[in-house]
Amino acid sequence: MKQLVTGDEAAAIAAKLARVKVISAYPITPQTIIVERLAEFVADGELDAEYIKVESEHSALSACLGSAAVGARTFTATSSQGLMLMSEILFVASGMRLPIVMANANRSLSAPLSIWCDQQDSVAVRDCGWIQLYCENNQEVLDSTIQAFRIAEESLLPVMVCFDGYILSHTAEPVEIPEQAEVDKFLPPYKYPYLLDPEKPITMGAVGVPEYYEEFRYMLQEAVLKSKEKIIEVGQAFGRQFGRKSDLIECYRSDDADVILLTMGSLSGSVKEVIDEYRGHDERVGLVKVRAFRPFPEKELVDSLAHAKAIAVLEKDFSPGSTGALFSDLSGTFVNSRKSPLLLNFICGLGGRDVSSLQIREATKAAMEAAKIGEVKKTVRWLGLRETMVGLKP
Amino acid sequence: MKQFSEEELLAPGHRACPGCGSILAVRYALKALGKNTIVCAPTGCMEVVTTPYPETAWRVPWIHVAFENAAAVASGVEAGLKSLGKRGIKVVAIGGDGGTVDIGLQALSGMVERNHNVLYICTDNEAYMNCLSTSSLIMTKDGLKKITEVKEGDEIYTFDLKTHQPVLKRCIGIFDNGAREVFEIETLHHTISATPNHPFLVLKRNGRGRKNKLVWKTLCELKVRDRIVVLKNLNGGKSFKFRFNPIQKGGKVTHLNEVNLPKHSSPAFMKYLGIWVGDGWVRPGRGEVGFALPKGSNERRSLVKLQHVLFGNGVRTNDMYIYMNSVNLARFIHFLGFGSGAKNKTIPPWIFTLSKEEKEAFIEGLMLSDGYKNGNSFRYVSASHELLQRLRLLLQTMGYRVGKIHWQERKKGRKCVHRRLLKDTAFGYICFSKRKKWNVKKYPSQYKYQNFLIENGHFEMEKIEKIKLVGKEPTLDLRVEGEHNFIADGIVVHNTGIQRSGATPYSAWTTTTPVGKVKRGEDLPKKDMPAIIAAHRAPYVATASVGYPLDYIKKVKKAASIEGPTYIHVHCPCGPGWRIDSSKTIEIAKLAVLTGMWNLYEIENGVFKLTFKPPKRRPVADYLKMQRRFRHLTDEEIAGIQRTVDEEWKRLGIS
Repeated sequence: MKQLVTGDEAAAIAAKLARVKVISAYPITPQTIIVERLAEFVADGELDAEYIKVESEHSALSACLGSAAVGARTFTATSSQGLMLMSEILFVASGMRLPIVMANANRSLSAPLSIWCDQQDSVAVRDCGWIQLYCENNQEVLDSTIQAFRIAEESLLPVMVCFDGYILSHTAEPVEIPEQAEVDKFLPPYKYPYLLDPEKPITMGAVGVPEYYEEFRYMLQEAVLKSKEKIIEVGQAFGRQFGRKSDLIECYRSDDADVILLTMGSLSGSVKEVIDEYRGHDERVGLVKVRAFRPFPEKELVDSLAHAKAIAVLEKDFSPGSTGALFSDLSGTFVNSRKSPLLLNFICGLGGRDVSSLQIREATKAAMEAAKIGEVKKTVRWLGLRETMVGLKP
Repeated sequence: MKQFSEEELLAPGHRACPGCGSILAVRYALKALGKNTIVCAPTGCMEVVTTPYPETAWRVPWIHVAFENAAAVASGVEAGLKSLGKRGIKVVAIGGDGGTVDIGLQALSGMVERNHNVLYICTDNEAYMNCLSTSSLIMTKDGLKKITEVKEGDEIYTFDLKTHQPVLKRCIGIFDNGAREVFEIETLHHTISATPNHPFLVLKRNGRGRKNKLVWKTLCELKVRDRIVVLKNLNGGKSFKFRFNPIQKGGKVTHLNEVNLPKHSSPAFMKYLGIWVGDGWVRPGRGEVGFALPKGSNERRSLVKLQHVLFGNGVRTNDMYIYMNSVNLARFIHFLGFGSGAKNKTIPPWIFTLSKEEKEAFIEGLMLSDGYKNGNSFRYVSASHELLQRLRLLLQTMGYRVGKIHWQERKKGRKCVHRRLLKDTAFGYICFSKRKKWNVKKYPSQYKYQNFLIENGHFEMEKIEKIKLVGKEPTLDLRVEGEHNFIADGIVVHNTGIQRSGATPYSAWTTTTPVGKVKRGEDLPKKDMPAIIAAHRAPYVATASVGYPLDYIKKVKKAASIEGPTYIHVHCPCGPGWRIDSSKTIEIAKLAVLTGMWNLYEIENGVFKLTFKPPKRRPVADYLKMQRRFRHLTDEEIAGIQRTVDEEWKRLGIS
């Protein structure tokens, strides 16, 4: 059944369909609709769950660790500054291998204060050991959130489902809502193997002395790397049952493309439009969308990008003093490969600024130019920058 | 006493300090709560001492997430259990004062406000909270120093846990830990005294075919036959530049008899000094340097040759003695710091900074005077215990195998080292020899099993042969940046700290509220945490003390039986932090209550009730004077604290 829902609602509905037991969240724009809907579901008795009205994001995630440790399926949602306040506990959650699912409505970080969309918040915590899935539309928000529980519980890792604030969170789209019985079949009740249980007492979160710490971190690395297979497996199983499969990456008209654009999140939709335009003019342009940013799909990206002449990475984040995060990860994957295309980085859409088809075309043209002359004149460019304001132009 | 369950839910063998009040509070609470409990803990002492992976002292399920969120984690655990329909499990958060009244206050406030069915116990030791005997000798960049001579900022040799090499690190603090019980550890070649909670680097065998590892263990956990990391060799020394100012003629000084004083240490000069330490004397007043060396000995021939090379002519000799009269030479030798008199001679720190060649020359000189060779083993005899002790450490930095000091007293006239003992009837000797060359390449696994660090040029493993109690001694501890360890008496040891929290009482010393010229310790009163929680309308708030365990256990049981958020603030003395003896924990805890510095009460549904009223309130001075964290207090300041306590009693309406 298709319903017109916003991205936030899609996430809340997905959590309800997953029959979460504990929700612990603190409101923050643009995530608020998620917690509001979930509170309503609990108030109406539609969802049999404990809703902890915590006093901060830090406590929100801390409580999630507690409930996940006693074996309750746990969900939280946040955004931007809230995610930053959680960041200490993000690392603990993955270190303790607790399968928590979080919806993150991507929003920029202060200062200056901005409540609008970019992906800087979740990208900033890419090293925290969580699986990060980025969604293109509201259907993907719903599908990925349901899948996230199964990925988390089967690989014992926390999963962050990221979708663009406002662009998805507050925009209603028709979304196919699966039947509860179908979801129950896909997602059986959660059985966590290492419970806090007085019958079988265990100690969780012990001190890791230098003799052991490194091994724990290595095991975390192995687990996150291995979760790639789990993401593919769960995506295929979901596809078999619901007819919409997902993968680590999605390739759009990129098989024979000379120039490929690489994006994450909702931007992919606009880029697809531009690609179609170019294809209409017989220009061999394609798109590769990164769905799983962590674990980083290195092999998959090399396989689907290596044949191209130039890659333009469009992203709504950057690491000050370096490049965009997706771009630096991508350049890393090509380091030891025999053939590497030219790589260009475009920073765009920060703090909620719309990325127009004009800007996407500008990026595509720059990549085509680089492909033609076989060299990149400027690696990192900012799209839509008001050059007079920053003193680039008088 | 019937209220005490016999079952121990906190396993013995945790690493808390002796006389720890907080661990008692935890143990008692678990006795009161029983098995059907889940404990949530913030980061802190109790977490660190009970759960170093792969060990745990907890026989109930236990979870730690971070420092500031024990109450939030407990909320989650409680909600999770509720959502799964699991009833009858008591969720308890046990945090220290820092994790409760400071960084953890927000999460705790949220937990109480949301009415979670959780009991929160704050084990309050009034600060964020290990030590070596003051006789320990520390290896620093400037040579060997007594621990009492080490200053903040000195560069100290530490053991790099990754590369297993010595590195220099800055000392960032020295702490006086008062007179405490001190144990002596003896290995084949090393000896050190330390308190029972002092950590040492120990080899942990992981079984055949697996890699062995180094772990920190406190002295009380060490067993005979454990292998600890010790120093075997320290390279990188260089020639020492003397900063000696010769005096000029004038006043009483009429003849200087100038000789060429060396500007830098050299092998020849070090050999000369070696001989001097054994058989020389100096009279700086008379400007005389002399050696008691009878005619015809090898030593005398070497010395004459050396003196000729070093100083030119000017040597006077007779059948028994060799003299040199030079004011500045005598003052120079005196300045070098070898001490005077056979019993008081020593080895100054700078010798430890010399290059191997010069150290060897010094040893050669020593051996010429009071040493002899027996097969492959050398033996050095001296009447100065300090000299032997330092020589032992010096030899340990040069890759020698050194035995322990054999100390004995003999009757006058007895023959020792080819000479009859005159006055020095007490003397000792140490034996040392060159290290065997192991064929590590040929038998790597065999030797590595025997000695984990066999290929290491600087450190090695030694088996502990003896651990014995040597009694109470003044103790000190150092804090070193980065590596958190240092080399004391040639053994790698760990360092420690005590920082103020919101629960630190007025005018108490901590490492972050030091007593200086302007500031007199903590300048703010203790945060009234029970009142804060009571203001949340929690159904039950109580204070307790480990000095009154029955009262405390009763309160824990009561709190656990009440539905909703309950809070118990238990006062727990801390030996190292409060600067008290480990045997005084209970006494001090009781005194806090008897003097009114800590009151035992409960607030049930808003109704305040004192649960223990001291028969006759004792002066606060009785409590303060027993703790060295308050030792700076003047009588006036104590009177001020007394007034505060009196007022508090008036306010509570119980005086």
